Amino acid sequence: MKIRMQHVAKLAVLAAAMGFALGAQAQSKGQYLVKFGVNQITPKVKSGEFDAPTLPGSTSDVGADTQPIFSGAYMITDNFSTELVLGLPYKHKLYGDGMIKGVGVLGTVEALPPTLFGQYRFFKSDSFIRPYVGLGVTYAYFQRERGSSTLTAFLDPGGKPVTFEMDAKWAASAQIGATIKLKERWFADFAVVKTKLKTTAHFSTNQSIKADLDPVAVSAAIGYTF
Amino acid sequence: MRHTKFALTVMAAAVIAGCGGNGPSAGDTTPKVKYSAMVSFGDSLSDVGSYAVGTVKALGGGKWTINGNNTAKGADLTGFNWTELIAAQLGLPAPCAYMTGLEGDASKGFNVPVATNTACNSYAQGGSRVTNPVGPGNKATGSPLGALTVPVVTQIKNHLTKVGGKFKGDELVLIMAGGNDALENLDELKANATKAGNSAGQTAFATSLAGQLAAGATNPATAAQAIGLAIATEAARPGSTSTSIVTAAVTAAVVAGNTAAASPAVYGPMALKAQADATTAGNKAGADYAAAHGPELVAAMAKAGGELVALVKGQLIANGANYVVVNNLPDVANTPSGLSQDANTKALINAMVKAFNDQLTSGLAAEAKVQLVDVFYVSHDQATNPAPYGLTNVTDTACDLTPAKNPLGSSLVCNGANLKSGDVSRYSYADAVHPTPFNNKLLARYVSEKMALKGWM
Repeated sequence: MKIRMQHVAKLAVLAAAMGFALGAQAQSKGQYLVKFGVNQITPKVKSGEFDAPTLPGSTSDVGADTQPIFSGAYMITDNFSTELVLGLPYKHKLYGDGMIKGVGVLGTVEALPPTLFGQYRFFKSDSFIRPYVGLGVTYAYFQRERGSSTLTAFLDPGGKPVTFEMDAKWAASAQIGATIKLKERWFADFAVVKTKLKTTAHFSTNQSIKADLDPVAVSAAIGYTF
Repeated sequence: MRHTKFALTVMAAAVIAGCGGNGPSAGDTTPKVKYSAMVSFGDSLSDVGSYAVGTVKALGGGKWTINGNNTAKGADLTGFNWTELIAAQLGLPAPCAYMTGLEGDASKGFNVPVATNTACNSYAQGGSRVTNPVGPGNKATGSPLGALTVPVVTQIKNHLTKVGGKFKGDELVLIMAGGNDALENLDELKANATKAGNSAGQTAFATSLAGQLAAGATNPATAAQAIGLAIATEAARPGSTSTSIVTAAVTAAVVAGNTAAASPAVYGPMALKAQADATTAGNKAGADYAAAHGPELVAAMAKAGGELVALVKGQLIANGANYVVVNNLPDVANTPSGLSQDANTKALINAMVKAFNDQLTSGLAAEAKVQLVDVFYVSHDQATNPAPYGLTNVTDTACDLTPAKNPLGSSLVCNGANLKSGDVSRYSYADAVHPTPFNNKLLARYVSEKMALKGWM
């Protein structure tokens, strides 16, 4: 968490160093906005139980991760825009929870959640601060699913190392954020995105577990208008 | 524009990195603790083949579950017990029996010289108790099998002797015992209760019959004595039967002046009533005996539990063991054996198991070098809530235990060839008390989970 906060702090310093400037380039119809920053994804997990054979009440939890974020937005009008958000893979740890809380890391997975938003940006195009709201679709793609000795011990002790796969899913995302003009074409961007994401992990023991991951993503970024 | 190019390059790199997609894999499968060996003490639940000799071996048996690899019949019919699965999970060699042999009936192939294999660390034997050397199947019980039933106290002594008195400290020690203390005590109680019931039944029969017959005699008081003596004399004569006893009683009654008693129409109902009185009195006496002596069994189990605690602390930990997994007693009352008992006996079994387990809890729960596994909890939950565990039957045996199919009536010689028909692979029990390989896997999973919680796996 300390490291993540440092990322954010660095960006804030960078933003301050650039200095606020008035009369800078507006975010108006036909312009592109690109931004680069950091994004922390924290799943708010509502886990189902493992399929039989299991220890009843055995559920899962997923840890948070922070990675660079990139996006490109296009101003369709002075107020409506569309934004594609991309990032490096988020590496999440899967933990045992419920009856097996405390057993530690069951596995790790990388998540790629590219999201396309439609946005409405408040105030005039040259406003110092422009709050915005967005609705979007996320394609949550999972890769590099890695098991662990704990996972094998829990599902099939003495058996072949247990592997798992997570279903890729389309999900809806809601966004709320704001840009703050810094200097000419530069701006700072802060956003919170909530995604409704249900997925299922399938284990090599022919078992599965369903979970609502419903991540909250918090990002801070520096943007450039052109 | 330089900035734009940079941003686009970074974005493209991100997309490419994302598409580098790797599929699932096993990840880091190294256990958290590297053990040098697994040492196992206990009874049939952990026995990996102490009696896999002679006829037992010839019948395709040796372990107290469904023997052999029958995965062709059902994926879960692996033939492994929980200790074998734990060893495999930790990357340790498959456990093997330190001692093998049988001391039973030579004519049945149950007499095979006792041999020890010092390379093996599984000391657990079917029938073993905590400290008492005579467990179920032991020759001293009259069993033709002649199980060795070396008690846990001696198993530990044998290991310490083998390794020079001390553990190295990086061994995983498994210990699960106490079940045979419960079973053997219950068997003895049942035998004694039956004896008490029979004796009381005989007395009640004589008293009832003599009283009824004497009522029609000239002098009922002296007649009752004479008839009673006649019954006692005939009952004591070798070869006497209930019919011959009734005949002797009737004869004495006629002599005493109850001539009407000679008619079967008269003495027949009297004999039936006497029989009913005998049954009532016998049952009552048996139940009274069991009720009176039940608390002794509960106390005996508490004692055995205390002895196991003392062994774990005084012989294992005190001699350098750092990783001791102690399984408490499972829900014996919910095994097919327990389920076949009357309500009073079930209650007694529960009290006995609780007395044993309470000792383990109070003695070991706070011990840092012990992971006490509450097998009672999970086995009880399995019995009452089997579906999530994947269990399809928690009351019947998977093995066909009829004498024609299974000469020992035990999982010890149960294998793929003498199972009940249909898919029994996810039954809880192989025989009256022993789990199937699938249930052994569930146990191994539960133990693994507790070891993971402790940071031991």
